Amino acid sequence: MIGNDIVDLALAEKESNWKRKGFMNKIFTQNEQLLISIAENPTIMVWNLWSRKEAAYKIHNRKTQIRGYFPLQLECFDLDCINEITFGKVVIKDFVYYTKTEIKSEFIHTIAVENTQHFDSISILDNRKNIRKKNGIPEYFENNILSKKPVSISHHGRFEQIITL
Amino acid sequence: MDKKETIEKLKNIVKPYIKNQEAFENITEKTDFIADLQINSANLVDVILDIEEEFDIIIDNQSMERMLDIKSAMEIIEIKLSEK
Repeated sequence: MIGNDIVDLALAEKESNWKRKGFMNKIFTQNEQLLISIAENPTIMVWNLWSRKEAAYKIHNRKTQIRGYFPLQLECFDLDCINEITFGKVVIKDFVYYTKTEIKSEFIHTIAVENTQHFDSISILDNRKNIRKKNGIPEYFENNILSKKPVSISHHGRFEQIITL
Repeated sequence: MDKKETIEKLKNIVKPYIKNQEAFENITEKTDFIADLQINSANLVDVILDIEEEFDIIIDNQSMERMLDIKSAMEIIEIKLSEK
């Protein structure tokens, strides 16, 4: 299973004020707030952590069929930057999801997987052809229904990223 | 506060964040903030903060979890107002 999330940084800047009173406490844990406060660029850290939570939520939703708004329960851990790609994990209750985040000047994109080996088997789709949604969750159909593969679609502002496993 | 008044207040709150005008014009209790109104999930926290300010209530994390549609928002507002 996979999940992804893209943040258009220009749109986020326009549509969200993360410095608004109450915002941080509803979304980020104490540890995450600390990471934001010590970050060289706090705004980038806000959307970096947010995209991880969202990507992990997409897998969690797929796996458990639980739909809800619980960003505080999806906690980011172990951020580690290797060659400009940031790896980490998101933990919710007994579940652990692994994340890979690309931070560019215009956007932040996170892919979340259940098993780190899956990072190597992810491919990017150019369009929504052969993608169908079942209970709101997209799947990719290749020739027949038996070879369906999980798909995750993320769209924000100027950017769209569709991935499959 | 009656239901009609609450839903009108909610409409004013969500208006700046909606991406689907048609769903907004046809708003009902069943309208989903994300699936129907296409509110960005990062803006859902703004909706919740705006509700807190407008109704002078505090929405705890447990209530926030199910704050996904007009119906649950109305229920939560009603509960929190009655606890005041």
